[in-house]
Amino acid sequence: MSEAVFRTSPTRARRRPWWLVGISGGLVTAIPVVLIGIAVILIAPTYYQNLAATAAINLVIVVGLQVFMGNSGIAHLGHSAFAGLGAYGMAILATPLMMKRLSIPNAPFGLAQVELHPAIAVIVTLAVVAVVAVISGRVIARLSGIAATIVSLAFLIVVHSMFLHWPALFKGNQGFFGIPQVVGLPAILACGVAVIVIARLFRESPNGLQLRATAQNPQAADALAIDARALRRQSWVLSALICASAGILYALFAGTISPRIFYFQQVFMTLAMLILGGMGTVTGAVFGTLILSIGLEAIRIFESGGVVAGLTLPPMLGLSGVALGAVIVLCMALRPQGICGPKELDEMLSGALRRLRGTK
Amino acid sequence: MSDLLRLEGLTVNYGPVTAVHGLDLTIAAGELVALLGPNGAGKSSTIGAITGLVRSGGKIIFDGVDISRMPAEARVERGIAVSPEGRRIFANLTVAENLRLGAATRKDAAAARSDMDRHIALFPVLGERISQQAGTLSGGEQQMLAIARALMSRPKLLLLDEPSLGLAPMIVARIFEFIAQLKADGLTVLLVEQNAVQAMRLADRVYVVATGQVTYSGPAAELAGSDLMALYMGN
Amino acid sequence: MEYFVQQLVNALAFGSEYALVALGLAVVFSIMGLVNFAHGEVIGAIAYSLLLTASVGLSSPFLAVVLAVLAGIAVSVALERVAFRPVRNAPTTTGLLTAFGVSILLQNMFQLLISPRPQAFSLFNGMSTTWHLGPYSVSSLQVMEFVVAAISMAALVLFLNRSTLGVAMRAASRDFSTVRLMGIRANRVIAAAFAISGALAGIACVFILARRGGVAPDMGFGLVLKAFVACVIGGFGSLIGAAAGGMLLGFIEVGLLAALPQEMGGLKEAFTYVIVTLILLYKPEGLFGTRRELGDKEF
Repeated sequence: MSEAVFRTSPTRARRRPWWLVGISGGLVTAIPVVLIGIAVILIAPTYYQNLAATAAINLVIVVGLQVFMGNSGIAHLGHSAFAGLGAYGMAILATPLMMKRLSIPNAPFGLAQVELHPAIAVIVTLAVVAVVAVISGRVIARLSGIAATIVSLAFLIVVHSMFLHWPALFKGNQGFFGIPQVVGLPAILACGVAVIVIARLFRESPNGLQLRATAQNPQAADALAIDARALRRQSWVLSALICASAGILYALFAGTISPRIFYFQQVFMTLAMLILGGMGTVTGAVFGTLILSIGLEAIRIFESGGVVAGLTLPPMLGLSGVALGAVIVLCMALRPQGICGPKELDEMLSGALRRLRGTK
Repeated sequence: MSDLLRLEGLTVNYGPVTAVHGLDLTIAAGELVALLGPNGAGKSSTIGAITGLVRSGGKIIFDGVDISRMPAEARVERGIAVSPEGRRIFANLTVAENLRLGAATRKDAAAARSDMDRHIALFPVLGERISQQAGTLSGGEQQMLAIARALMSRPKLLLLDEPSLGLAPMIVARIFEFIAQLKADGLTVLLVEQNAVQAMRLADRVYVVATGQVTYSGPAAELAGSDLMALYMGN
Repeated sequence: MEYFVQQLVNALAFGSEYALVALGLAVVFSIMGLVNFAHGEVIGAIAYSLLLTASVGLSSPFLAVVLAVLAGIAVSVALERVAFRPVRNAPTTTGLLTAFGVSILLQNMFQLLISPRPQAFSLFNGMSTTWHLGPYSVSSLQVMEFVVAAISMAALVLFLNRSTLGVAMRAASRDFSTVRLMGIRANRVIAAAFAISGALAGIACVFILARRGGVAPDMGFGLVLKAFVACVIGGFGSLIGAAAGGMLLGFIEVGLLAALPQEMGGLKEAFTYVIVTLILLYKPEGLFGTRRELGDKEF
């Protein structure tokens, strides 16, 4: 993976400032999302609108995951914890008092009496997540490779077990309901586009470039006096905030959340999406999410059993999990850089354009 | 077929970079051939290609068989042993265990043990430290261990990759003395050295390589010091 | 005192279980730098094969133990051949993610082919009785667990120090390519590592089944996460570290269980992981690790 990610053409980088590359590249990368999104909003029935919303939320998580994993080269298995923190932040802060009296009447820190406007709740939640991310980021950045991965996993488990075993604040195993449903598909898509641009901006920024350099060759990066820890910390925090936004969107879209949603199932799925597309690029995150969202939906038809194309099938629980596992294993064996390869969409397009002009 | 080893058009590429292009080389049985050249000339790549750790193109004919597609392990079984560059002794193992792994391909355990005793007799210092961790040995001792370890497989061809690198002159002299002894015993040796003067004194024939190609080959005696300098600098 | 002895035996038993699983991970990691997330599913596969053979009439616990070890070796070696060989020389992250994928795949296969629900398994129930050692009564299972784990580790140490293959494995943990230059086949060394890992999984599986009396698709996954933690505390790739880390983890858990008030018992996991993270902050390379062993393998 590491050899593939680190290839931006130096001539182009010299022509345009990085932030322009990031913004324009991000917008180009987001085109497929926008097109599919508009098509779904205009013509699809409600059921598919909801599916598209869930897929778009997953997209935000996958892009968030890419920001850390794709640039630092460290496998991150705890990103769903941040999504969970975002969602629970909204649940605790924005749920109407009437509902809270039912769900968490004994919340500590006087939170049982708090009901914020969703917009303010978003800001407070992101601030809290940022604090958590800065602290956990300090730990992660100090560790290298595998130890960092294991600690990211430990983080997931710690957060999950807090959700489960601190019922006064998180309502435990049962779903948290009554969160104001103020977000629809268009808003989620807009966030998706914004997040894609942010991820591209980070990737193209001097810091992002340096971080990718440390992933590829730590010794050489050391020799250039690149502070790998600080860079890893930055990307961890940014990644956390993006994942938390996905959680926030989920809470505001679905209205009910439970700890199970933000655990291994989601980690597996989003990870498989990123790997399928290619973790080195934001484009990979986008296409991996698109393809796997559609593919998984097709598989779920079989999974639940019933009558498909005139055949009566038994329910096949676990089929989608098998598919996810197979996607990861096959990608790693056959195409570790993912189906999109080492280049971003805009780089591929401009390359294709150049070839076209060349053949003329 | 008196050549024990013949390289025909050997090439080694690392991605887009070519380290060796079209190298031809022969070693007759019982010969000591030195492979000389400046840093980055492709000497170590050539050794890597012969051992099989580095993928290569062209033919590598050893003992009448093209081994160029064989895995590294199979080549050891056929009789090629190497004392690698930087010695690469197993630092976390004892001296005895290092020697034992050198004999891993052999079925005759008793003979291997007597070989071990013989090598220890040649390098008494190894005998003194036989149950010590090899990582605690000095550089010269580690080099001796690396050669002894290679000899444990009773090779037909011994590859010595930079045996003098980073060692004190006195120790270098001792190691070259030992190489001369090996040659006198009839072993075929391919010696890769930066220390050209020392190597030429020992070698029957010399190949000089620069930028991945042979720029000179012939009897060591005919290669005067001044020519060598020119060859090193690229004509 | 009674209470203390019981807790001590408890901790030793838990620690032994973690140590067995952690050793299985560390053996493979030290040789080929693979973080084998699928180790838990090896345990799962063993359990399901015991379940299947029991359903067709296997009734001897002794035979079942032998079968467990053999099944472990077979599954583990087969996984290496099918899934891990293609990524053998890839970066550590690639191997880690592959193993993660294999783990998800197998877990869901168990669900799909057998059942998402736990299945009862009673063959080993006889192993659990109460022994009276002097004034103390202890669980036979726990004592056996500790003793068997200690014997297996001793056997492993013996193998690594006495046999040529074992010595080669120790050498390969530092410098794989030079081991190949000794004429020792890479595939043999790696297969041996996976076989040992599988055998340890088989032993661990017997105790897990005896303790839980049932089989579930995710039975190995949680355990392997803990074993990872044990490896990381001990220093990834160090065998002594894995064993010590496993034991330490057992003591931390039992200690927390004894120390935490009843209503916070559910947070045991969380506290365990927090303690572990603190240990790592203090010693990022683990207790027995060197910097090099932390995933940056030289080849």
